Amino acid sequence: MTVLIKNATITDKASAFHNRKADILIENGIIKNIAEEIESTGATKIIEGKELNVAPGFTDIFAHFNDPGTEYKETLETGAQAAATGGYVRSFAIPNTNPVIHNKSQVEYIVQKAKSLVTDIIPIGAITKNAEGKDLAEMYDMQQSGAVAFSDGTHTLQNSQVLLKALQYVKVFDGVIIQIPDDTNITKTGLINEGIVSTQLGLPGKPAIGEQIQIARDLELARYTDSHIHFTSVSTAASVALIRNAKAAGIKVSCSVTPYHLTFTDDDLRTYDTNLKVNTPLRTAEDVAALKAAIMDGTIDCIASHHLPQDYDNKICEFEYAKYGMEGLETTVAAVKTAIPELSNEQLVQLFAVNPATIFKIELPAIAVGSKADLSLWQATGWEVKNSDIRSACKNNSFIGRTLNIKIKGIVNGNKIHIND
Amino acid sequence: MSLSTKHLLGIKDLQKEDIQTILTTAEQFKEVLQRPVKKVPSLRDVTIVNLFYENSTRTRISFELAEKRLSADTINFSASGSSVSKGETLLDTVNNILSMKVDMVVMRHSASGAPHFLAKHIPCAIINAGDGINEHPTQALLDAFSITEKTGGLEGRKVAIIGDVMHSRVALSNIYLLKKIGAEVIVCGPPTLIPKYIEPALGVRVEYSLKKALEWCDVANVLRIQLERQNQVLFSSMREYNLAYGVKKNMLDSLNKEIVIMHPGPINRGVELDSDVADSHHAIILDQVQNGVAVRMAALYLLR
Repeated sequence: MTVLIKNATITDKASAFHNRKADILIENGIIKNIAEEIESTGATKIIEGKELNVAPGFTDIFAHFNDPGTEYKETLETGAQAAATGGYVRSFAIPNTNPVIHNKSQVEYIVQKAKSLVTDIIPIGAITKNAEGKDLAEMYDMQQSGAVAFSDGTHTLQNSQVLLKALQYVKVFDGVIIQIPDDTNITKTGLINEGIVSTQLGLPGKPAIGEQIQIARDLELARYTDSHIHFTSVSTAASVALIRNAKAAGIKVSCSVTPYHLTFTDDDLRTYDTNLKVNTPLRTAEDVAALKAAIMDGTIDCIASHHLPQDYDNKICEFEYAKYGMEGLETTVAAVKTAIPELSNEQLVQLFAVNPATIFKIELPAIAVGSKADLSLWQATGWEVKNSDIRSACKNNSFIGRTLNIKIKGIVNGNKIHIND
Repeated sequence: MSLSTKHLLGIKDLQKEDIQTILTTAEQFKEVLQRPVKKVPSLRDVTIVNLFYENSTRTRISFELAEKRLSADTINFSASGSSVSKGETLLDTVNNILSMKVDMVVMRHSASGAPHFLAKHIPCAIINAGDGINEHPTQALLDAFSITEKTGGLEGRKVAIIGDVMHSRVALSNIYLLKKIGAEVIVCGPPTLIPKYIEPALGVRVEYSLKKALEWCDVANVLRIQLERQNQVLFSSMREYNLAYGVKKNMLDSLNKEIVIMHPGPINRGVELDSDVADSHHAIILDQVQNGVAVRMAALYLLR
């Protein structure tokens, strides 16, 4: 198949065409030519559009595909469609499936199934068996089989000794441990951020220190083991301050934030909107400002969708009984560019393509003749998100109905192409 | 007369005028309750369901009496022995009941915001009879009615709310109401039972000393300590709670003034309130219960 991308602004520091408008010709998944004007004769597919942009393929590092176990919420197929719609060439799958991704056969199930999917879905292996936080899972074997990183996913590892051993254990293969920072001893009785809003709404609060204590402790363990820890869905000003200092002190730490923590605050929960019931919880306007500043100064390395599909019955119910999480692979990139309009194309590509590839040691082909076509495309035009834009099996996305600053055009993943209508 | 709102979900959503309207209407219904025939035909074409997803004696009986004295038809539902134990959702249960032509819902629920959720999905008026640790609006209204009756008014009145403020919907509704009408409020209790952000969130003052709180106030509203929350590390024992925060007769005697003692019930005698206080002339606990019927009649009447 021959694909021609017409008149796209290229953002790729590794490319000779960085910051230039060009046409890109792709044959059988390989970039054959890049030039200001390429004849379209012979092209079986032409990708074009107003204010079209192209960059090295985006990676999401934390999404729940629910497969196997809760396929009524998502499957690898529907999840890959959602990811491709959102401009992702790769997406990591968290291990909180049933059974848990905690051994080689579970990893291989995902790897095998993903081969036919437009977006590469790469499993994150569990740190502990059944993600129960007790006994180490076979991380070496999982890594050999294709697990990209290790995490107990939505179950934050609480036990210091187990985390210490896990951080040591993954050093053999230079692995990364991912944690949602959440000391559940402190936060388990809470439902939303503890603060003025929780007090006024009569909802039990999760104190921000529950997150900060976990980060402080885990940073000490990372320092002690000289191993790499990655925090995802950091949500407070104090959290990013801790991580900023740790980076300066040479601790191997990286972190990511979700699009919803950059967009919403606990003040948006006044209508008891269950779609905004997420963990870590939505915080205050001051925290949002601190997260944005941390993106601009590089303390926050990348964005994680925290795509957690929940079906109707788990969200159309009492707030306390609603399940945590928001689906969002389709809207994450556009939502971040909307939350921080001053983000340059270069910064956007750093957050979504370059940094995740660097942290998790993924080869990212440059936009150059002879490279594999590994491309994310978007248009710098406004986009009102409609229900029909959501390709996940679930629709629990609070960005539906909002207008975002950019619209994702699609992806080219070698021979596999997804273009939004 | 009518209210600015379709439902009574919480005091938080009411205007000051709404509160005054309910209290004025309640006075008229209190007069009705003194008559030989304690019944009016106001709601004789109205069917009301009392949905109690959480145990209640006083509130349920009070609502039922209020409905009956307004000549409404009533249905009582409690979560045990219903389809809830078979896994039916709240929305399904309520929609099934409403399809049998029920006009109003009175609901108590253990989850904060449950009536607000329901209000988004059903067409009829809802009265919140207590939701989680959020609000219990009719309790705050009957407390306000009782304070006014006993002391002549609410404005400028000094009210201390004492006990497990963190888990109390009575406290939250009372604070909203008292602040809206212009009373002064302090909350008093062990720091483990006082929300950390209560001062900026609700505009009340925190006082950890029971003695100072009693010396300051005109009215002490003493909350029930919830035995069922004991599985959390909140205080060491009922005995110690009584030592530090139990209201005792000698404390009231040592004050150089008369204060009013209130309690939303049920009382844990010897824990938050000693018996000789609960049964003393300071206490208006049974007046509160009696006023509850009149206040609930007013709310039902105004929201029909």
